[in-house]
Amino acid sequence: MEISVSKQDLLKELTATQGVVERKTTIPILSNFLFEAAGDKLSITATDLDLSLRTNCPAKIKKEGSCTIPARKLYDYVKLLGDGEISIKLLENHWVQIRSGRSNTKMVGMARANFPALPLFPAESAIKLPAQVIRNLIAKTIFSISSEESRYTLNGALLVLKPESITMVATDGHRLAHVEHVNSKLPVSGEMKVLVPKKAMSELSSLLSSLLNSSDVQVVEFAKDESTLFFRLGSRILTSRQLTGQFPNYEAVLPRDNNKSVTIHCDEFSGAIQRVAQFADERSNAIRMRLEKDELKVSTSNTEIGESEDSIETSYNGDPMVIGFNSQYLLEFLKVVGTGDVRFEFKDAQSAGQLRPDEATDSEYKYRYIVMPMRI
Amino acid sequence: MGRIHVLSEHVANKIAAGEVVERPASVLKELLENSLDAGATRIKVQIEGGGKKLIHVVDNGCGMVRDDALLAFERHATSKIKDAEDLLNIDTLGFRGEALPSIAAVSRVSLETRAADEDSGTVMEIAGGRILKVEESGLPAGTSIAVRDLFFNTPARKKFLKAESTELSHIASLMTHYALAHPEKHFELHSATNAMLMAAPVQSHSERIYQVFGKETLDQLIPLSADARLERVGIPEPPPWRRDEEYQSPEPGAIRIHGFISRPEIQKLNRNSIFIFVNGRLVRDRLIQHALTEAYRNILPPTVYPVVLLFIELPNQEVDANVHPAKTEVRFRQPSFVHDFVRDSVRATLVKARPVPQFTREITALPTAAPGFSPGTLMQPASAEFQLHSQPQPPINERLQFSAAPAIPIEANAAISGFGSVPAPVFDRAVIAANNDPCGNLVVEDGEEIPENMALSTLRPLGQIRDSFILAVNADGLWIIDQHVAHERVLFEKVLRERSRAAVEGQRLLMPLLVELTPGQQAVFAEISEELRHNGFDAELFGARTIAVKTAPAGVQSAEIEKMLLELLDQFQREEQVLNLEKARTRIAASIACHAAIKINMPLEQNKMEWLLAELAKTECPMTCPHGRPVVLRYSVKDIQRAFKRI
Repeated sequence: MEISVSKQDLLKELTATQGVVERKTTIPILSNFLFEAAGDKLSITATDLDLSLRTNCPAKIKKEGSCTIPARKLYDYVKLLGDGEISIKLLENHWVQIRSGRSNTKMVGMARANFPALPLFPAESAIKLPAQVIRNLIAKTIFSISSEESRYTLNGALLVLKPESITMVATDGHRLAHVEHVNSKLPVSGEMKVLVPKKAMSELSSLLSSLLNSSDVQVVEFAKDESTLFFRLGSRILTSRQLTGQFPNYEAVLPRDNNKSVTIHCDEFSGAIQRVAQFADERSNAIRMRLEKDELKVSTSNTEIGESEDSIETSYNGDPMVIGFNSQYLLEFLKVVGTGDVRFEFKDAQSAGQLRPDEATDSEYKYRYIVMPMRI
Repeated sequence: MGRIHVLSEHVANKIAAGEVVERPASVLKELLENSLDAGATRIKVQIEGGGKKLIHVVDNGCGMVRDDALLAFERHATSKIKDAEDLLNIDTLGFRGEALPSIAAVSRVSLETRAADEDSGTVMEIAGGRILKVEESGLPAGTSIAVRDLFFNTPARKKFLKAESTELSHIASLMTHYALAHPEKHFELHSATNAMLMAAPVQSHSERIYQVFGKETLDQLIPLSADARLERVGIPEPPPWRRDEEYQSPEPGAIRIHGFISRPEIQKLNRNSIFIFVNGRLVRDRLIQHALTEAYRNILPPTVYPVVLLFIELPNQEVDANVHPAKTEVRFRQPSFVHDFVRDSVRATLVKARPVPQFTREITALPTAAPGFSPGTLMQPASAEFQLHSQPQPPINERLQFSAAPAIPIEANAAISGFGSVPAPVFDRAVIAANNDPCGNLVVEDGEEIPENMALSTLRPLGQIRDSFILAVNADGLWIIDQHVAHERVLFEKVLRERSRAAVEGQRLLMPLLVELTPGQQAVFAEISEELRHNGFDAELFGARTIAVKTAPAGVQSAEIEKMLLELLDQFQREEQVLNLEKARTRIAASIACHAAIKINMPLEQNKMEWLLAELAKTECPMTCPHGRPVVLRYSVKDIQRAFKRI
């Protein structure tokens, strides 16, 4: 293999793949890139077996072929090179020579044959999804995904595709984020449900932002086979192992009879919680919310740290009640919502509370966040 | 002809012998108790063939006149009690009048005795219960009794005796117990080849421990002393109209316990190092043992045992030794009071001592490296045993053990010199006297040491080893803290505190977690569900043998909930005792703490480590985790200097 590629092009693609390359490597080959040169393209592949990214950039191919190069070292090296053409040439014994201007480096690669084979993108069954929507769905749910490795099916979000809507649901057993985008028209029949692992979601999200910023392609092509999910964004293909297993029956936990509600301005609410939560227990982050007429009081009291209370003016006129929550759970939601009003709906101190942005501000997305109270 | 006939006395004695005389050590026990009851201050014992050939006890007690000597071998002949009333108030070790005839029935006994105020003594020889010879003779005051050929006429019994070395070790440990119980008396134990125990009279129990076990052991023990007045609950007083004129309410008396308990880093695999003396009598009492286990709960892991020397003194009416012929069991009139008193005193002493494990102690606390506590093992062909100890340690130990390399051989030597054939070491009484506290207990003081809780709060974390152990320093030296158990201890006390204020925080679950139980677990669940609820668990029965957990303690990850619940239920199920609420509470707290605590292999930032150490310093018992493992190890500056040969 012998090619020449511009530094800018190469670096852009290498940067995009960094998130996928295995850091704590157990299998040495996984910390390498696979470089394949064919036609007028250099394709670059990185994988950690669960997640893989295949991307390409234009290159002048003098001799077709393939090689593997240590990913981290190459990336760090290329960053330091001056602008201009970089020539890459495979030498004997898997050594790879990289030359640019007056710099000359030989890196020790590994045998091409060792690099795991990746499933091919099944172009014919692909569904086009709006990129911006997917990005929003991910942002609105990813924080609720459980980080406990043992609860396997909660380590990802459920993506539900219907002809008229796209839904994403994530939960960790204490709270649940549910967001539905209506007004989409998808070429699916019936309903299609897949579990997307968290790492794939965050990788997809960052690829989507660079895609939306840099090109005018506004769709992501999605496909799957029995075990793998594929996302194609322009010239990049992200493949992820599919999570298998039963996602909890989330519909059963969506509260239906929350008869009390209060509307609060997001900034005001999150400011109050942040202040009060300073005095919450470090482990449970519990805060107490007291609803009284025209007033919501957020408070904590801790015999070891102190106590704190914030009061927010609201138009509540139901029965007074007290309910405890993990402040962290509320803050994460409010941070995603950002601005505008949120509606907080309750039934009693034992039942799930529901938060949602006020309908007027965001009509395209139906976003609801269920959070279980704490007994304090 | 009728089938029933009265057994001859000969046979009856043999039957009684079966109860009283089980092995050579039980013969020695009876003889020692006789000597002690006779007021002897010097007792010398000579053993041959593991006691099978000869047990020879010589004392300087009150001795017997000729008639008494003859009577002593009759059944139920005793000088110790007169009537049934006396049974309620026994202050001698023996009282049944069965020992001597039982022993005489199964061995050849020769007795030489002279009462102090008689001119001449008596020599008797008895074999298999028959008196062969009674003679007058000039003898020193006191009694000398030699038991030869034990079980010579009951071959079946003889077969059941263990190897000579085993029997000898039983004898040695028995002798050790009595020596410990009576520091003011002189004890000697000789086997055919060497002197196994030489203990000159000393002032206090601690000095006796030094004589018997050596300095290392003494250093590892914490003195304990407590007393309390007994409130009489046993016998109701007669009503006023039936009282005599000169009737006086009985004085309830007081219970006093003193002795020594080990620091938690000493862990024994069996109860053989627990010595309990009730009014000077060695007993194996389940009640007291249970109290000790309770006291060490959350300090020692469940399957290991501490070293305990406990002397319980209480009025004779309060304790009944007449439970079993061997008298190793006693009954207390107020068992729960005694139990709680022992538990609380031991617990309080432990907490006060706040023992800090040290590296060298950790090493020597390994079962193979601490011969000091098990005098029995010294009776093995000794040379082989000690060669084992002096062999170079495996490399891993060498690295762990920073202190001077010969630490272990030195300890072995100390054990020999304390116990073995060499004359008792010169004991610097002046030093001891200077350190004696008012209770007569030895206080081991180290001038440099800062109180441990203060020491902890001055710790500055340096970093982690393998993301699991925090290294920290202060003026005191180098400390290593196990981050998981440290956090566990912090959380444990927090959960208990919250529980006592009924303010445990629970996080409700989005979807109830279904847990399937076995019938046994379910029974336990029914019993403790209320307590679980107070600890942040809300669970209800859901179908036949399934529970639905709706709320879990805050901070416990959902994946841990099921594991933790099942673990708890299993623990309670294994417990044979009736559930007691306080125990359930601490156990649940320990379990919550364990599952909520940070794990090992978790990188911590500097401020997190600082936070953890500060929190740990605030805890009540920062040195051991609720399951009894040590939390911190300390390597003092002195140890470091010593290891670098600077001092």
